[in-house]
Amino acid sequence: MNLSRWGSGILDRGVGPLFLVPALLLLVVLLVGPFLYMVGVSFTDLSFALPGHDGNFVGFENYRRLMREDPVFWQSFGTTLVFVSGVVSVEFGLGFALALLLFHHVQRRRFVLTLLLIPMMLAPVAVGLMWKLMLHGEFGMLTHYLRELGLLGPQTALLGNHDLVLPTVMLVDVWEWTPFVTLVFLAGLLSLPREPFEAAVMDGARPWQVFRDITVPLLRPIIALVLLLRGIDAFKEFDKVFILTGGGPGTATELISIYAWRVNFRNWDLGYGAVCAFMVYLVVLILCAVSYKAIYWTEGRAVK
Amino acid sequence: MVALATLVVVLVIALTPYLWLLMTSFKTRLDALADAPVWLFTPTLEHYPMVFLDKGYLPMVGNSLIVAGVSTALSLAIGVPAAYVFARHDFAGKEDLFFFFLTTRMAPPISVVVPMFLFFGYVGLIDTRTSVILAHSTFNLSLVVWMMRGFFADIPREIDEAAQMDGHTRAGMFLRVLLPLAAPGMAATAVLCFILSWNEFLYALILVAFESRTLTVGIPGLVTPHGTLWGQVAAVAVVATLPIIVFTFLVQRHLVRGLTFGAVKG
Repeated sequence: MNLSRWGSGILDRGVGPLFLVPALLLLVVLLVGPFLYMVGVSFTDLSFALPGHDGNFVGFENYRRLMREDPVFWQSFGTTLVFVSGVVSVEFGLGFALALLLFHHVQRRRFVLTLLLIPMMLAPVAVGLMWKLMLHGEFGMLTHYLRELGLLGPQTALLGNHDLVLPTVMLVDVWEWTPFVTLVFLAGLLSLPREPFEAAVMDGARPWQVFRDITVPLLRPIIALVLLLRGIDAFKEFDKVFILTGGGPGTATELISIYAWRVNFRNWDLGYGAVCAFMVYLVVLILCAVSYKAIYWTEGRAVK
Repeated sequence: MVALATLVVVLVIALTPYLWLLMTSFKTRLDALADAPVWLFTPTLEHYPMVFLDKGYLPMVGNSLIVAGVSTALSLAIGVPAAYVFARHDFAGKEDLFFFFLTTRMAPPISVVVPMFLFFGYVGLIDTRTSVILAHSTFNLSLVVWMMRGFFADIPREIDEAAQMDGHTRAGMFLRVLLPLAAPGMAATAVLCFILSWNEFLYALILVAFESRTLTVGIPGLVTPHGTLWGQVAAVAVVATLPIIVFTFLVQRHLVRGLTFGAVKG
């Protein structure tokens, strides 16, 4: 056994760890480390705005404050739940319907689909600005036509009205993300086997029965995937709403991410802000763990 | 017929806001602020040079390019080998480690950026492009690992065996045999990474303030409570989005896989 062969043997066995270490190192240094640091900060009174609050240990004070003394946090949590459940269900319904339409009635799907994808590929900041322009209270294009049709009062602006603003930003989210649902469902529909459908048609099943008894059960993994991915993403929403309303008017559209941003980077209340950021993370982590189990493990495959 | 009509309506709804933005970027101030929406107008080119040259938005385009380019390159350089290991090697706790990569991509940006802000402040990297590049690499790295694991898994194992018969070492096989076969997938992954980084807002908003601002962070600065120059806003927004639309056409085939973390192949 010569020496170079022995050397390459070591390298050979080392390929696994050697290839993994840089990736892990980056994540540990940039995510895990800072995250642990933040958990540490959450037990202090660190604040850049108040004198004397330079990181003294306060135990669970910030956690107690979140649970007992901060109705605004829980209000933003509630707003976020309304936002998530609203947009996900509408996007799911519209996106699924659109995928079925494309699947059954359109031949040159790829071209149509590419045009349809444009809303979700644009920078969310640009999406926010586009709609801010469309919905402007004085010269917004959509505002103008809604007023012409008598659907909107002459003094009402969709983004300035306390009751209308949340549904409005939700509709913008529906506009942006319905294409995603369509894209994934169309891929799912195209991957289904043909035999069950042919057999059902032979047996004289009506279209609605085919859809209910064959299409939906076969698509169940895709349905779970879409609901959970959109659910998690909607829960994290920040950019678009931040640009459109900044969380306002008042706190009408202050989603949990925007609230956490405000505590940290407007009030500079970093000790308490760490707790808020931690709570957002916790909710998403739970959703994520559920989705991973639902999608990957029950399927019995890691990556297909 | 009903299907076709529905489709036309859907496309009009999907595309009109962007067309309106495009039109606004070529409208004079008078046309942009008219009481009734103006659909036909004499286009003006004044906004583009005004905002990019006179107002200094051109360097932000450069910053966005550098941040997106370097973070894509970095993520590929360390993510592709890791993806190869996940696709071809077995070791204890492999799926748990893979799940860890998944959680990093799923983590809400606000919960990541708060600790990163504290960390980069501590090491003195606040308001540098480096901080944004590193921040974007965290989510791009995970994307690379998932997508490339799938692309490596698509390569038949017989190819590995043949390469080993030919006397390639494992490292050599990875570099000279598998990597070229996975190149198309890698190109698609790179484009997706670039898009994600180019479009990203929150990390960049928190981590940079002045010279290192990226385009997405710069645009909102043009929106003021009084007298926003919408023509200029639209011009910057168009420059920030048009390249992405072109890229979308390029990677459309791989979008499903990229956006569902490999769960749906598309």
